[in-house]
Amino acid sequence: MSIEEQYRTRAKELLSGGAVKMVIGYSKGSNASRRRPLFISSPDDVDRLVLDDACIQNLSGYLVSEGLLSDEKRVAVFLRPEGIRAINILAAESQLDAEQIVVFGFDVIGNEVQALKVIHVEEFSDVINSIKERAPEAAEEELFERIEKMSPKERFSFWQEEFSKCIKCYACRQACPMCYCRRCIVDSNQPQWVNTSSHTLGNFEWNIVRAFHLSGRCVECGNCDRACPVNIPLRLINHRMAEEVLGAFDHFAGTSKTQEPVLASFKKDDSETFIL
Amino acid sequence: MTKILFRDKLDKCVKQWKSDGLTVIGPVQRANISTYAAVDHAAEFDFDLVLPDRSIKDLFFPQSEPMLRYTIKKESINTDECLPPSGPRIIFGARPCDASGMAIDDPLFGWDYKDEYWFQRRNESVIVTIACTKADDFCMCTSLKMAPDSSKGSDILLRPLAGNNGWQVEELTDRGREAFKTISDLLQESADTAASLAVVEKKFDLDACVAWLQNPENFESRFWKEISMRCIGCASCTYLCPTCHCFDIQDEGDTYTGIRRKNWDSCSFALFTMHTSGHNPRSTQSARWRQRIMHKFNYFPGKFSVNSCSGCGRCSRQCPVDMGITETLQEISTLSL
Repeated sequence: MSIEEQYRTRAKELLSGGAVKMVIGYSKGSNASRRRPLFISSPDDVDRLVLDDACIQNLSGYLVSEGLLSDEKRVAVFLRPEGIRAINILAAESQLDAEQIVVFGFDVIGNEVQALKVIHVEEFSDVINSIKERAPEAAEEELFERIEKMSPKERFSFWQEEFSKCIKCYACRQACPMCYCRRCIVDSNQPQWVNTSSHTLGNFEWNIVRAFHLSGRCVECGNCDRACPVNIPLRLINHRMAEEVLGAFDHFAGTSKTQEPVLASFKKDDSETFIL
Repeated sequence: MTKILFRDKLDKCVKQWKSDGLTVIGPVQRANISTYAAVDHAAEFDFDLVLPDRSIKDLFFPQSEPMLRYTIKKESINTDECLPPSGPRIIFGARPCDASGMAIDDPLFGWDYKDEYWFQRRNESVIVTIACTKADDFCMCTSLKMAPDSSKGSDILLRPLAGNNGWQVEELTDRGREAFKTISDLLQESADTAASLAVVEKKFDLDACVAWLQNPENFESRFWKEISMRCIGCASCTYLCPTCHCFDIQDEGDTYTGIRRKNWDSCSFALFTMHTSGHNPRSTQSARWRQRIMHKFNYFPGKFSVNSCSGCGRCSRQCPVDMGITETLQEISTLSL
């Protein structure tokens, strides 16, 4: 039985028995290469679920949709390891109760879909640690290396050109499971803390604010990068920040649901004499 | 015999237009995105694109526009109005869906207050449209009763030659004729035939959809919640749309000096309709998506007798969660049977 069939069967069991109220997975999209998020609450609909190497969107952000988990019922969700890390962070930041989440884990190695045969978030620590080991290679791409070699001035103009394309559609924010604020700082308009204009200053303000808010929290699922309609290589910023945090604090985001947020916790014996 | 502009003459045309004082704009690939931008040479154009990622709207209704600068002193308040940068321009190589998008928005920007920012740019621009010989999975002009060679909103319509070495020229407006007068020596009469047009499959029955949307019973239909469940509430669809035109006015600066700007805004955002009291009449994403569809296919045509959609398909093409107008109207087509 293929993983897709196994997961359909399991979804059917869970929904018919009332063990979960909803399964969040993928269905066919508008053309052969696209998949789209699918929400099913009836066992009759499980045949619409699709699982293949085109299922790349991290679906964990839907779990913090307003009201979804407030009835304390369980929800099942298709997640790759990055999605599972995101659940850990959301749990650590008190945004959800990991007990309510049933995981349909999978990973795509090459073109092949592999099942991750565990159900609860805490059982994935081996998987997550293995990702931590391979993390440094994850963003090895020509562009990343080219930017690393630039002088600060060149790097600034590179990002200036990239950010000049930003249209402030906030697709990066909306696609990101970590951007769950009910009211984002840029939407706080009494007073308007951050310019809404997408001129140079406004675009820098937005993209830098987001990069800092994601430092030590981003799981590099790539949702923002894929969502960006103007092709700003956001993955590179987030990868750079993740490297910094890993190097400075040995912090790999999302290893457990009790992991302390690296930039929001302190110890008395920290070497710094100040808190930012 | 038809009037033909051969490709190898285009660079000379660009030079001529520039010496006539026109800014020459067209489809280009820059910094990993395709858009309409000013060029110096014809070689910069990219005519192989199905259509640019960014729409032509940006050239008439920029995402951020300064309106006035202000300084407030003890005894006086000074304001300096900012008008759009003026100067004639020619947009060479627009797609029919983009050009018609501008014509769709003309009545909106002129019905009560005549928006001088919009109309100054409209009056100073010549739009030279190239009919489409290619389409992708998301093109849907035919579903909107338009075609790959619609001339709506264009001053000149060019039909690519079968040999891909030039275009048949059809002059549509005085403004177009004026701009092509100075390059008339570069045009030739020839019997070259036009390439066949792109085949754009019809994806939904527009009349049936409109009838369904106009039925007040369907305003509270369960359909809206189901179709928009995966909508993440970004503004990718509205900001890439050639006809979406909503904006917000913001003052940037401090109590003493600053600038008033007109910035794009989107009905996808929760903040769009948030009242000062905190009440939001469109408090859910499904209400916001319904508004976008109703506006385009019910309210806008009710007021201006034209749908606020030109069928470019950018909303579906770029949607991070594979939604869009096409899918929604396809679903409505089946509901209205």
